[in-house]
Amino acid sequence: MSGRRSSTILHEPPPRASSAHESSLYIPQPARIIRITPLTEMEKLFELGFLDGSRLNQQPGQFVQVSMLGVGECPISICSSPTRPDTFELCIRRVGSVTNRLHELQEKDTIGIRGPLGHGFDTHEMHGKDILMIAGGLGMAPLRSLIQYILDERPRFGQFHLLYGAREPKELLFKDDLLRWRESKDVNLAITVDRPDPQWRGKVGVVTTLFKDLSKLNPDQTVVVIVGPPVMFKFVVIEVLARRIPQGNIYCSLERRMKCGVGKCGHCQANHVYVCIDGPVFKYGQLKGMREAVE
Amino acid sequence: MLDRMLAQRDLFTLVGELARKRRIIGPVRRENHFFYEEVADVGTLDLSFNYCVYGPRAFLFPPTETLFTFNRFDHTFTAKPVLDVRPMAFVGVHPCDIHAIRLLDRVFEQDHRDAHYLARRSHTLIVGVDCRTPCTEGVFCADMGTHSAIEGFDVMLYPLHRDGRDDTTFGVMFGSDAGRDWILYSRRGAIPTAADERAFEQYEREKAAAFPRHLRMHANDLPELLDRSYDSLLWEATARRCYSCGSCNLSCPTCYCFNIYDESDLSGTTGRRERTWDGCHLKNFAEVAGGHNFRPRAASRLRHRIYRKAKWVRQRTGLAGCVGCARCDRACTAKINSVEIYNQLAEEA
Repeated sequence: MSGRRSSTILHEPPPRASSAHESSLYIPQPARIIRITPLTEMEKLFELGFLDGSRLNQQPGQFVQVSMLGVGECPISICSSPTRPDTFELCIRRVGSVTNRLHELQEKDTIGIRGPLGHGFDTHEMHGKDILMIAGGLGMAPLRSLIQYILDERPRFGQFHLLYGAREPKELLFKDDLLRWRESKDVNLAITVDRPDPQWRGKVGVVTTLFKDLSKLNPDQTVVVIVGPPVMFKFVVIEVLARRIPQGNIYCSLERRMKCGVGKCGHCQANHVYVCIDGPVFKYGQLKGMREAVE
Repeated sequence: MLDRMLAQRDLFTLVGELARKRRIIGPVRRENHFFYEEVADVGTLDLSFNYCVYGPRAFLFPPTETLFTFNRFDHTFTAKPVLDVRPMAFVGVHPCDIHAIRLLDRVFEQDHRDAHYLARRSHTLIVGVDCRTPCTEGVFCADMGTHSAIEGFDVMLYPLHRDGRDDTTFGVMFGSDAGRDWILYSRRGAIPTAADERAFEQYEREKAAAFPRHLRMHANDLPELLDRSYDSLLWEATARRCYSCGSCNLSCPTCYCFNIYDESDLSGTTGRRERTWDGCHLKNFAEVAGGHNFRPRAASRLRHRIYRKAKWVRQRTGLAGCVGCARCDRACTAKINSVEIYNQLAEEA
């Protein structure tokens, strides 16, 4: 019984007293809509600023929880770079009750924001490296924060290839940016669509078809970033591994249903990881063998 | 070593005094079953209960609670958090549920502190009652190492001398300063004698013999077993019976997944954000906007729950995700049995 007595030394104190003043994780901060730019039939770009003048201070690849009070909350990736800190932008697809309501809003209206949340891209690890980015569909939204970051900090990076695949030309996001990037020497942009319309003059095929025109990569010097629908992920990874890119140099970002955004509610769990706090940005090595991540 | 001896009638006097300062939650008989309830009259508590149908988690993490209330104005809003700091005492918590509460503490404290849970928890006193024998045949708490608790309580009561329902004498062990102060300042009870210590040793010996083992492996080996079992056909075979009703989640003392939704008045100007229990066995649990479901099949959801309970929660928190209380097995409408799953997996592996 002496074991019992000594074990009380191990006794953990009950959770630290929580006063009525301890702030709740779940309180959104009011943010004003500064500008709304329609992108496609389904997506609009919202430029936002906090009412109290504070900045979001995000990392590229992080997300926020967006509140329509009375309707609910949903996770949205931040699509602008911290190098443009005065405001932040969200690309919102009209797909659920919250996002449908968001699409009805006008400039100067106020929404609620919690964040930034999650782990974004480790931009320091990318410094000095060549970058190969593969975006599929709405995956372009979280990547845009990193694209802007690289373009704003261009001397820190080597070659920059950006491959973008969408189902149809009318689904391409950020067309103004795409025009600018296509003219820019700072990024080597290639775009393809699965189903062309009569006006389409560009490439046709899934995003992996763009790999054949890619100049030779220096495997150890290249960081690869993949964001897109699960079905795309596997095929892109095969192309990337075939070019001998080390698995530790491959990043991706996952999308899941989330309620809390802070590692409690369980909705975003994929195998053993919580996408909201362990991700949404992961290294490929973390996801290997995690079948729910990519299937 | 015991800290104190306390007769049941003294204990009830003490709890009665406690009730002036705290809400008292404990086991109450409803027909043939026991439930944790808030009691107005401590005389309705029955500490000789076998098990409570649900664990006490509902009092720390209510099935539905308001996170904040809000008011919307033109071009802005205010949001006010709702934190429940009313003092509580749980009187009569078995070791399995003490382990379950420790896990919830860890989950709601780590990474990001959840003020709503912690407000209640930090105002809660826990009075445990040890189990001399297993409460039912199917429990596997001894396999999980949760049939006894050495921490996670303020006071633990060991029913040493049981001469009848009203004449039990408890050996008392303190688990915190709050628990010690409560008992000692009351000046009730007695210092344990050498005979009491002998009785306690005898109690522990009998207890060790009374709890059978059901698992064919050590609980520490469950994560490794599951590592080898991801593609087992048993998930599909077992889940064929599953109705995806979520009764396992509902009855589990360690389940903490939740959903968040808003309620508002018709004009939408005032309202509240609520959270409510959710369950990973329910069909739409992993469904994203647009309709894609990351676990569309009952088999993938069953596998997810078992992996969480036996591997992933432990990996993340260092504490067992399953306390072996077998409430999920009892609650299952299709008689899916977790011990049977583990043993079948072990047989294949």
